Amino acid sequence: MNSPADTFPSDPRPAGTGHAVASVRAGPAEAGPADLDRISEPVHVVGPDGPWHRVREGMRSRGNAVVFTTWGQWLGTAVTDPGLRPLLGGDWQRYRRTEDPLIRFRFLTSRLVTKYTAAAALDARATDLNLAYKIGGRPYLRGLDQVDISLTHTDDLIAVAVSRTGRIGVDAEPAGRAMSFDLLHSHVCSPAERAELELLPAGRRSAALLRLWTLKEAYTKAIGQGLRLGFTEFGFGADGEGLLAPDGRPASRGEWAFSTRRVLGRYLLSVASHDAGLDSSRDTAAHTMLDEGFMGAVADLLAPAAPGGAGTGADP
Amino acid sequence: MTGIARTAPAPGGGPGRWEEAARARAARLESLLGDPYDPANPHGLRALFAADERRTPPRETEALLDEEGWAAEFVPAAHGGRLTRADLLARALRPVFRRDVALGFGHGITSMFATGAVWAAGGEGMRHELAGQLLAGGRATILHHELAHANAILRDEFTARPAPGGGHLLHGRKDVVINASRADAQVVYARTDPARGPRSHSVFLLDPARAAPGTTRHLPRVETAGMRGALFSGLEFDGRAVPEDALVGAPGDGVALALRTFQVNRSVICGVVTAAVDTVLHSAVRAAATGRGGRVARRWHKPLTGVFADLLACDAMATVALRALGLLPGRAHVFAAAVKYVVPDLLRENLEELAAVLGGRGYDLESPEYGALGKLVRDLPVAGLGHAGTASCQAVIVPQLRTLAESAWFAEDEPPPELFRAGAELPALDYRALGIAGGGDFMAASLAGSAARLAACRGVGGQVGVLAELAETFVAELRALRETCRALPASGGRALADPAVCVLSDRYSLIVSAAAVLGVWEAQDGTDPFLADPAWAVLALARIGARLGVPVPDLPDGCTHRLLDELIRRHRSGISCDLDSTALAH
Repeated sequence: MNSPADTFPSDPRPAGTGHAVASVRAGPAEAGPADLDRISEPVHVVGPDGPWHRVREGMRSRGNAVVFTTWGQWLGTAVTDPGLRPLLGGDWQRYRRTEDPLIRFRFLTSRLVTKYTAAAALDARATDLNLAYKIGGRPYLRGLDQVDISLTHTDDLIAVAVSRTGRIGVDAEPAGRAMSFDLLHSHVCSPAERAELELLPAGRRSAALLRLWTLKEAYTKAIGQGLRLGFTEFGFGADGEGLLAPDGRPASRGEWAFSTRRVLGRYLLSVASHDAGLDSSRDTAAHTMLDEGFMGAVADLLAPAAPGGAGTGADP
Repeated sequence: MTGIARTAPAPGGGPGRWEEAARARAARLESLLGDPYDPANPHGLRALFAADERRTPPRETEALLDEEGWAAEFVPAAHGGRLTRADLLARALRPVFRRDVALGFGHGITSMFATGAVWAAGGEGMRHELAGQLLAGGRATILHHELAHANAILRDEFTARPAPGGGHLLHGRKDVVINASRADAQVVYARTDPARGPRSHSVFLLDPARAAPGTTRHLPRVETAGMRGALFSGLEFDGRAVPEDALVGAPGDGVALALRTFQVNRSVICGVVTAAVDTVLHSAVRAAATGRGGRVARRWHKPLTGVFADLLACDAMATVALRALGLLPGRAHVFAAAVKYVVPDLLRENLEELAAVLGGRGYDLESPEYGALGKLVRDLPVAGLGHAGTASCQAVIVPQLRTLAESAWFAEDEPPPELFRAGAELPALDYRALGIAGGGDFMAASLAGSAARLAACRGVGGQVGVLAELAETFVAELRALRETCRALPASGGRALADPAVCVLSDRYSLIVSAAAVLGVWEAQDGTDPFLADPAWAVLALARIGARLGVPVPDLPDGCTHRLLDELIRRHRSGISCDLDSTALAH
């Protein structure tokens, strides 16, 4: 099954490198300061040993965490792990079927990074998690809806985002990728964005368009739709105004936060994070989620030797 | 309120008339609420969206509901109200939920959540008095105890300590309680035993007017991201005295009463929020067909028909759970939990699929034609309570899996056919008869029965052939689940608090959801040719199977078109996209 994390077949982006990304500063960039504060800074995890404490810290404080790595860093572990089959679970067959070694190992590593990241957020073992896919391809952890996850890869970069406040989406592109405004604006830009980009000097349009592209990928992946949601149907402002309608009016009530940052010096990484506003529990551990009172009341009635408990157990 | 009987038909004439009466009340309410798309209608979507934007309850519509004596829907008929069967309650509530989930919660259904414990375990006098309050237009709210992984609504709880001279003294605070500022009765699940476990809490019915000065503090309103017009605020008790006769049931009954009443609440919520998504589906069909001579672009066929099939499936699941509460009251608990586990998640995905169809129009937040999506995306998580809501359902399912695998699956008789048959008479909902564990698994039995009857059609091709294959797929899943669940630890508690077991409860819930679809399809008598046709059940089951991650057969020719034609027909004729094909106000 193709997930939104994988490249969409109808992806119109061109290959190659081109202009320098003029509008992207090193380190934190792009989004408004408020949003940068709502999305945790990406953490470089070099292998299964982490560092995972920063994922737990981000989950606690901001409700989300973002990690990135290059697949070569995980490859040694990935191919020598004797527990690979249970780790991959339902993805094992797809891994075995993939013939191209590059695609195969990238697939493997991206799933491992996803499961390890989720395991850190859930205080669980990666092998106990079941990474599954919704109908539209969005990955999720079966039976554990305290977190949403998203993954992306481009060239040798793999990035995973996890959230306890609502949907999350992540996308990355090589920061130097050329995006021709003339060729692409009618596929990518809302009318308001087009008007805004036309005001920029021609040399800065490619970088601005690339930023929009990663934000749009991140948002449509967060809502599990990928390119099914036309990129011209919504937009972003140049100054971190959040989600906008095609005509440039605000399209949400502050539930969404967005960030775009440069990682490893050469990739642009955007995250879209939704907050459903329930003020969800900071405890996201899998082993504490089943209410002891409820479990105990049900178990008492089922145990033949136990006293009857409080309810009527069966039909009269 | 004396005008109730005059303004809306109360149940009368015995169980045979209940359904007719409830449908008549729903039709009357639908017509009083009027055309949702008329910008001048004070109860239309434009007015309801505007109230949401102002963060106020829609006063005019609340007044209309008061005039209709809406609160009587939540009072059992035995106490003078209109509540007979849970499935009919959901039908009667749908006209409101179709327009505004926050209004449905804020104005009414919260009273039902609160009062369930009293109908289940309160003494005769207590029940009579509470019924009188609601029938006079009063409102009740519920002060939940804290559940695992609690969010803002379920966080914190009150403690009740024995008072010198009898009764209890309440202490503690909760910050996010719907209608805390305007409830005429408070039902509090308070901790009466510091030890964790099934006897830790007790339920009390409080009259806010009788609190001694200085013992109750009303905390400021809390602005929530969803249900923005609903009135959430906090309450703090500081030695608030509770007389002995305020105790509901026995000391220590709180957790069991929560389990007993939550299954009703869970099923009703699923039955009504489905109607809210129906409104968004209509707006997406409108968006897809506008300006194209009524034709829908090919790329939207899949999401639109997929959501339509899911809505029918959600209605099937919720309706079967609601009917089971009356027909099989001791055994409905595990299916009600499974349905509440599945439905809100499905509907959330449905809204996202519809967001893609609506595109830029979905951000037209004030428009009655297209604004329903944006509001429901905010309101739905509050209605379903997110992860804390699903986890509380898993806590009911997980401890039962091993017992079900060992003694129920493939070993039980099927439930009575009235469970699925529209129009069949059912007993009234009796909160006192509801069980909280044990009693087997009638939906697993139903799945096996459906698959066995369909087995002869396997391999014959066509819609029914695929339906038979799908049924067998779910049976095979149940068999595999049985093997895994038999190996689970026998004792409850920590041994089961394992992510791998949560995975099993997810698979289980999807399997019994499929059973509901098959049961409802099989029970069709041909009155509705569309529901009698297998197409909707095939698509619904294929989607449940995809969620389960099992291989599903290709959709047979014509399946999508059958659903698309029906969807467009219903949209054009103003008919609901659920099992009832209700005429909508226009």
